This record gives sequence, structure tokens and C-alpha cells, in this order.
Amino acid sequence: MMDTFHESSTTLFNRHVQDWKTGGGHVVGYTCSYVPDEIFHAGGILPYRLRGIEAKEMNIGDAYFGPFICSLPKCLLQLAGEGKYHFLDGVIVTPGCDSMRRLDDCWQKAGEDRAEALPSFFFHYAVPHKTADYSIKWFIEETQRLKDAVEKHFSVTISEDQLHEAIAIYNEGRLFLSRLDALRCATDVAISGADALAVVLASTTIPRKAFNDLLKDLITELEAVKNPIRGRKRLMLVGSANDDVELVRLIEGDEAVVVADNLCFGARFYADLVEVEGDPIAALAKRYLFHNDCPRMFGDYKGRLNILQEKIERAAVDGVILQNIRFCDLHGSENGIFERDLEAAGIPCIRIEREYGPLVETGRIRMRIDAFLERLEK
Amino acid sequence: MRKELKEYPFDWMLWRTFAAATRMKAGSEKEYRHALNQLPYFRGILDTIYGIGEPGRLFIEMIAEYFEKIIHAREREQKTAITTFCFSPAVFYALDIVPITLELVTVAMGATYKRGTADFLDYCNEVGFTETSCSSQRGTLGAYLAGNGVTIDMVVCDSPGVCDTNVNAFAFASAYLDKPFFQLNMPPDLTGERSTEYHRADYRALIAFLEEQTGRKLDTGKLRGIMEEVSRQDLLMTELEELQLLVPNPLPVTFNLLIYAGRFLFAGMPQCTRLLESMLKIGRENAASNQSGLSGGKESLRGFFCYIDHYGQNFRLWELLDRMEISYHGNILSKMWSQDAHYVKVLDRREEGYAIDTTDLDTLIDSIADLNSRMPMIKSIRGPYDAPHMWLQDTLALAKLHKADFIVYNGTPGCRNTWGMVKPFARDTEKNGFPTLILYSDAFDMRVESWETTASRIEEFLKVRRLRT
Amino acid sequence: MITAGCDVGSLTSKAVIMKDNRILAQDVIRSRTKPAESAVAVMDYALQKAGIILADINFCVGTGYGKDRIPFVQQAVSEISCHARGARWLLPTVKTVIDIGGQDCKAMRIDKDGKIVKFITNDKCASGTGRFLEVMARLINVSLDDLGELSAQAKAPITMANACTVWAQADVIQHLNDGVAAEDIGAGINNAMASRMAVLANNIGLERDLCMTGGVAKNAGVVSALEKLLGMTIKRIKKVDPQLVGAVGAALIAGDKMERRTAS
Repeated sequence: MMDTFHESSTTLFNRHVQDWKTGGGHVVGYTCSYVPDEIFHAGGILPYRLRGIEAKEMNIGDAYFGPFICSLPKCLLQLAGEGKYHFLDGVIVTPGCDSMRRLDDCWQKAGEDRAEALPSFFFHYAVPHKTADYSIKWFIEETQRLKDAVEKHFSVTISEDQLHEAIAIYNEGRLFLSRLDALRCATDVAISGADALAVVLASTTIPRKAFNDLLKDLITELEAVKNPIRGRKRLMLVGSANDDVELVRLIEGDEAVVVADNLCFGARFYADLVEVEGDPIAALAKRYLFHNDCPRMFGDYKGRLNILQEKIERAAVDGVILQNIRFCDLHGSENGIFERDLEAAGIPCIRIEREYGPLVETGRIRMRIDAFLERLEK
Repeated sequence: MRKELKEYPFDWMLWRTFAAATRMKAGSEKEYRHALNQLPYFRGILDTIYGIGEPGRLFIEMIAEYFEKIIHAREREQKTAITTFCFSPAVFYALDIVPITLELVTVAMGATYKRGTADFLDYCNEVGFTETSCSSQRGTLGAYLAGNGVTIDMVVCDSPGVCDTNVNAFAFASAYLDKPFFQLNMPPDLTGERSTEYHRADYRALIAFLEEQTGRKLDTGKLRGIMEEVSRQDLLMTELEELQLLVPNPLPVTFNLLIYAGRFLFAGMPQCTRLLESMLKIGRENAASNQSGLSGGKESLRGFFCYIDHYGQNFRLWELLDRMEISYHGNILSKMWSQDAHYVKVLDRREEGYAIDTTDLDTLIDSIADLNSRMPMIKSIRGPYDAPHMWLQDTLALAKLHKADFIVYNGTPGCRNTWGMVKPFARDTEKNGFPTLILYSDAFDMRVESWETTASRIEEFLKVRRLRT
Repeated sequence: MITAGCDVGSLTSKAVIMKDNRILAQDVIRSRTKPAESAVAVMDYALQKAGIILADINFCVGTGYGKDRIPFVQQAVSEISCHARGARWLLPTVKTVIDIGGQDCKAMRIDKDGKIVKFITNDKCASGTGRFLEVMARLINVSLDDLGELSAQAKAPITMANACTVWAQADVIQHLNDGVAAEDIGAGINNAMASRMAVLANNIGLERDLCMTGGVAKNAGVVSALEKLLGMTIKRIKKVDPQLVGAVGAALIAGDKMERRTAS
């Protein structure tokens, strides 16, 4: 069963997306965990979280982006330019951070040079950086604007009922993912961090109903697992976006297991349910905006520290890996303060800087992890 | 950080330096020259600034006063706020809060000390702040994180939605020092009802925050006085802007920095007005006799800096431009976008400008909210670079208006925003007929690229593009 | 009990053989393409010097980048742990170790047993490593060994670009063209290296006594600049070449592991 999750998590144009397209369905890609999947699901469109896996070169990315930019949007642009996103009918870009925001500009520019790189529907979804009554109002309007634009472009109707239904299905998936979380946190760990990531990544590409069914079956299997993971150092992974299962596998090696995370391709993606009562647009906007574990929501360090501390306790974490992609200043800097405060609370931490992209620096990362695990030895 | 650096608070050192600098001309010219020789590093820039005449003197006094206010805030029972240059300090002055604008202090330190803020830049990294962050905030920030300056009472910025690395510095400071934090968040659009409403609601929340921090209520009379002063400054700036369009440009190369620094330091306060008036006198005189503001009297080229200046190593950019007979035509920092601004009128872009309505407290707050949302950078690098009202449109319109011969992009490696699209941007400016140079230097940290290398790149560009033989 | 440590790095490979808590033999060679080959070669030399054969070694620990490829070791341990253990043995009062190797640099705080309390390694960049010095030395036509001496001769060290090795080269070329003296450039290079290392070291909080390991510890210019920046004396390792500390530590850890095995 894990094969299905792994296949869809490591292949852009995986079997599920192929089947969807063959069935005449539309696919809309988006860059950031702040985009409500439910809008697309309600319109019969497959929401697809954009990822930079399969990027091997960087000539296209570098042609538009300057040198001092995180490699994640560069990889996305590279893939777009190479036509690897041929299956997309639309793209939603958000100001997740400046580098990702400028992906909008660069992608559109690339579209001038290579028409095939630009999907016909391209939307900038202006997510605020704060939670105040006027920013929630803005975001509700923005979400309405997104819905209207999707309806218009794809000639679909997205009714309130359809939205409620989508919310229910996505909430169901979130509950399953939370159960998966609990299985990871337990003393006897039912699933490795690498496999857990594959599951979460699969949720960003497999149609939701099918995903929920697959996950439900997986959880049943895991709850009955005969050989749980024991005796390894328990780690938590925090920081910049990571959608590379191999990176987690590298970190886990033979001696560790990643039992918790606070990543946007991880726990942050599925924490918190959407309210089922009332106006669904407002409910979506509120859940996605208040779901603010990202340092892009400036000024809420303490809230995020609490989340980490709570997870560390719940999952009996031995050590925290605070990683950031080079040039990711938001995570990179917040990791610095996390390290200060967590170490002061007696929780060993290590900060690692990496590139996003093909995993080539395995030796360097392995050396640091090994030393960190040795430090954790009592 | 080396322990020697902690012997004196760095902001107190800067105050004493500039305070002493204000007295340099108190005696005879001979005494001035002799005293100048005693300054190991600062003398170059100090002499250049005094060489401007009265505006230079006023500028030095203004900076000394700025630091004096910071040092004495506590004893005067005033709160201090660290903030960014693209946040108008007018509201602070209205609420008797003393602003500490990180980037300007970094520039001041770069002018006075050989190593600039290098040690403080490094200290930020030592305490966990990323090395890849913008050096403009990071320089001064390091000193405050090390407790090597006055106590900070609050952190205020308006860069979310515009510049992550900027606001990240403030968010870090707030978390590290555990200080109250407020951010004004900019939507990607400048105009339109939604954005205007958002700006104004956000600004009102800011005022509520500031009132809570100070225990004071915003005084209508005081704010009115400040905004009326801003209006006066806008008119003076408009005339300076108009003069810059003349061929030759009658304003010296140094004036551009004085214009925007004055506004960043003392918007709505008479210190800035005096400085602008003084510059205008010289500008008008030169214009009347059709004289170039360059010291050689001859203008060979007109350069438009689309982003920021280079502040390193004694502001040697000034000396380079002046020596090469290149008049300076502004950058993203020198445009405030008042509806009264000359370029706003000429380009017929009224809705992009702010208007000041002093009728009542509500209209005053709306005015200052609109003004703030049009501050340099805040206005034009918040949305897609080639969208209406944004950076490309502004740059092309202004460069054309100023009859610029070339465009230079200079910033810092920390500028995720502009490095995220400066290549497409430069393609467009080139396509529109402006030879464009992208510099890879750091305006505030000479350890990224030495001034010598930067200067040679500028010279090489001008030669290769046949702008100069 | 005879133990050994083999440290296979990107530039050099080292082997140390210890008997009864004394160093019996040691060797350093330039690394070859394959880590296994480097390990075998350097261990061979050390064995010859010691007058023993591989089978005489009771426990061997491998470390360095090639540690997982060494065919004859019983266990691989991170170079961070090995440097810490080795430094503490060589200088029993040491609490903080700074290691600058060919391609990375690290700082670590250790306890009385030489175990890691906290460590940090450099971010992605060559400019905080021995590679930086190598590239720069070549540019000013000076050997790596002589680069360290230039600081003492300099009258006006340049402040040079230190954020990026590639750009630093452009800087050095510019200074050479401007006729700046080699010692001033050399001193600037050493200072740039030291200042990057100081930031890293200060990150973990320093505790006396402080020492340096790795090849760059032999560069007097970097060491003295670092002392000034950190405000602390750096104790010199005299018993062995500082490059060998990792291998010494590995051999000691091999002994620890033997003892634990015997005890259990």
C-alpha cells in the first residue's frame, strides 16, 4: 500500500493525475498551504500542490530569478519551462514569501518566451500576513474572488452545498491525517517519518475521496502493525518546505525516526478543521488564515514556539532538526530563536541549511545528523 | 562580538560623533582643516557634506539631533520604536514616540566607521539571524540585539506584503527582545476601494497600538500641524524634482540622499523643511545660470538609480559620479508620491498620489494612511513588477522624464523581492531603450563586494555600452 | 590494547595507531578519489611505521567524509565527536574546539569526557573553509604554508569580501592590480577567514579553554586574528599536527568502545 503513496509522492504526473486527465478532469496547481483545496474540489477540479521534484537543471529558473533566491521557486519555474507541468489547467500563486510571490512575475515572463509554460488560468491569491478583523474580511473577499474566477474560467458552478460537501471530505482527510500523527507520536512508532511524509505528499495530489479511502486502510494496517519502530532516537523536523522523502530517509538513517514535524508539507498542512456551519467561504478563509504556523505570519513567534513545545512533549521528542533552505530567511531566522529557547528548555537542537532540489549533499547532511545523534546518546 | 565594542553604547557614540561634527565649522577654516586631519575615516564624507554649504551643515545637525533624541528618550519619558525607512515617522512625532530607523542608522555608521556595521552584522548571525538577510536592517539590529544601545520599547514596520526580509528583521527583534510588535500589511494593489479601505483600517489599528503603548491619545492638533508641514515639504520636494529635470541637472549629486534622508528622519518636522528650503536655494541659483550641480560644471551623462544607492566606504559613489560627470536622477527612495508631486502631475497619475486633508481627525488619519502606503518601496514593489502603479511602470516613466541615459540597479543580496525579478525587469528596461546595469554589490556591507570592484563594474558598463569612451 | 583511528577527508586522509594510551604511529596523505583507497594507503603507512599489521589492531574507528567507505573499521563515528575527543585528550582543559578543515568548519563545546555539549557547522559556502585559503593563496602566488606568516608582516591589511570565495577572488585581483602589497592582501585573507569563523564560534557560546584543530590551525595569521575577535587565547596543540586530531579522537573512541565491550 505504501507503494501507492510513494509513487504519487515522487512523481509529478503520477497515475492518479493521469487518470484524472484521461477522464476529462481539470487540474489546478497551487504553491502554498494557504490555498483552500475545497474550492477546486467543489468545482470538480483536482487541486494539486506544486512541487519541484524532478527538476535536474536550473537554466530556466536562473534565467528569470536572480542568484540570491531560494531554490524552491526556481525548481518550480524550471519544471514549468520544461513543460513538466503540461497537465495543469491553472496555477494559483500566493505571496507565501517574497521568493514564491515573484514566481508569479517570473512564470508569466517565462510564458512570454515559451507559451506552453503558462497555463490558461493564472491567479494571484493575496493572502494577508496577519490575522485581524479587516484582514479576515480581505481574505474572505479574496476567497470569494478566487471562487468567482474559477467558476468563470472553468465554466463550473460552485454552490454552497458543494462547498460544504468538499469541506466535509477534506475534514475527514484531516482527521485521518491526525490519526496518522498520533501513530507517529506513540511510544511504539508505527510508521517512519519518510513514509509519513509520502502519505502527506500523496494527499496533495490524489483526489480527496480516493486518498481518504487509501489512508483509512493504511491506518487500519498501522494500528495492527507487528513490528513498530523502537529504540531509535525520536526527532522532530521543523523549518522550510520539504517535499523530499529521501531527505527524511537520510535523516532517519538506521538510528533515528522522525516522529513529528511542523512543516507545510506536513502537520501544518492538515492541522485544524474547517468549520462546517455557516458561510463556507468565510469558514475556509478563517481556517486557512488562522492556521498560521508559518513565520510569514509575522509577529507570532510565541504561538509557534508553543506549538513546537506541545508537539515535543506529545511525541516524546529527543531532538529537533531545524532546517532551512538557503535564502529562506523566514524559517532560517526563526529557527535561530527556536534553537535558543528550546535549548534553554533542555531540548537539543541542530540547525541545518540546505538547498531545495535533487538531493546531492547527502554526505554533508549525514555528517551533521550523525554528530547530532551522537550528542543525543546518553 | 569583540568586547571593546561594548564599552560604549554604539548609538551614544554616533550621537557624540555627529554632535562633534556640528561644531567642526565653529572656528576658522584653518582650525577646521586641522581638526579634519584628526579624523581617521569620517573626514572624507564630512568634508564632502560641508562642501555642499548650508544644506550640508543642516544635514549634519539634523542627524546629530536625531541621535540626541534617541539617547535622551528615556529621561524625557518618551517611548522608542525601532522601525524601517519606508515607514513614515510622522505618526511617531505626533505621538511623541522617538523613532529609531534601522537602515538610516546603518548608513550613518557606515559613513563614520571604517568597518561600518560589520561587527553588528556578524553579531546578528551569531544569535541566529540568517546571514542572507538584508544588511540594511541587520547592521544596526545587531547592536540592539546585543544590548549595545538604548532600550527599545516597541517594534513597528509596514513591510509585510512588500519585503519579507525587512519585516523579518523586525519580527526577529520582537521575538528575540520580547517587545510588542505591530505590522502594517500591504495588499498587492495600491489603489482601488478594497486596498484603500484596507490601508486605512490597518492604520487605525496601528494608532490604537501606539496609543496603548504610550498611554497617550493621538492629538488632532498635533497631527494636523505635522501633516501641514508634510504638505509644505511636498511642495518643496516637487520643486526640487522639477529642477532635476533640467538639462543640465542643477542639483549636486549629494542632494538626492539629503532629500530622502531628510524625509525618512524628520517627515512633518521643521528640520526636514529647513533642509529642503536650503537645498532649493542652491538648486534655483544653479538653474538660473543654467549651471550643472556637478563640481566640474559639466554634465556628460544622466544616471537613474532604479533601486537604492550605494552607501559604503565613505559614500564613494558620490565621488565616482561627480568625477565622471554623471548627474544623479533619483532612485526608488526619493519619490514620495504626493498628488502635488511634479511627476504625478506630469505623468497624469493622480490616483497613485496621496492627498492631505486636514479637516478632522478621520481625514487626517486617512491621509497619513494613504501617505504611508505610498512610501518608497511600499508603493511599488508590493505587486507584480509590471502591473500598473508598480516598479517597472514607475522606473520607465521617471527615467524617461529625467532623460536618463542609463539605469543602475544596486541593492543587497538580501533583497529577495527584487532579486526575484530584477532580470525580467532589466530585460524590460533594456527593451525600452535604457542600458541597464545590475550590480551584485551590497549597499551596506563592503565585505560582499569591495567598493573598488563595484566601481570598476560601473566604469566597465559605461565603456562597454559606449556611454563613455 | 591497540586501537586505531582513520580519518578520510576530502583533501587529506589521516591514520593514528595508539597503544596503551600512547600514540604509536601516525600518517597523513593527500586523499585519492576513492575513500577506501585513501584509507588503506594511509593505514598501511602508519602500520609500517608502527611495525605491526592490521590484525594486531583490536578496534578501529573511521571518521571523516569517507568514514562509511573504510573497509577495515569496526565502527564509523562523526568527525565532530572525534575532534572533540581528540582535542580534550591532547589538551585536558579544553572546553571549546574550533575545527577548520578543507571543506567545512565547525565549532563545538565539550564536556570533561570530550563529549559534545553543543556544536555548529558552517552553512553552505566555501568561504569559511580551508578551500578559501587555498584559492586565495594561489591567487597571490604564495604557498598555503606561507600564507599564515603574511599577517605579521602586513602594514595595512585590506578588508576583503568574505561572503563568497568566487567574488573574493575578484576582489583580490582588483587589489593586486592596484598594487597592494601581497602581505596586506594575505593578512586580509586571513582576517576574512577568521571573522567568518568567529561568527560561527560565537553562535554556540565559548568556554575556556579554546583550541583549534584541522589544517588551518597552522595558519598563524588566522589564529591570531581569531584570538582578537573572540577575546580569548587559543591553546596550541603541540603533541601532534592539528590535522590529526580527528584521527587521534577516533583511536581514543575505539578504545572507549573496546572497554565498554569488555565491561559488558
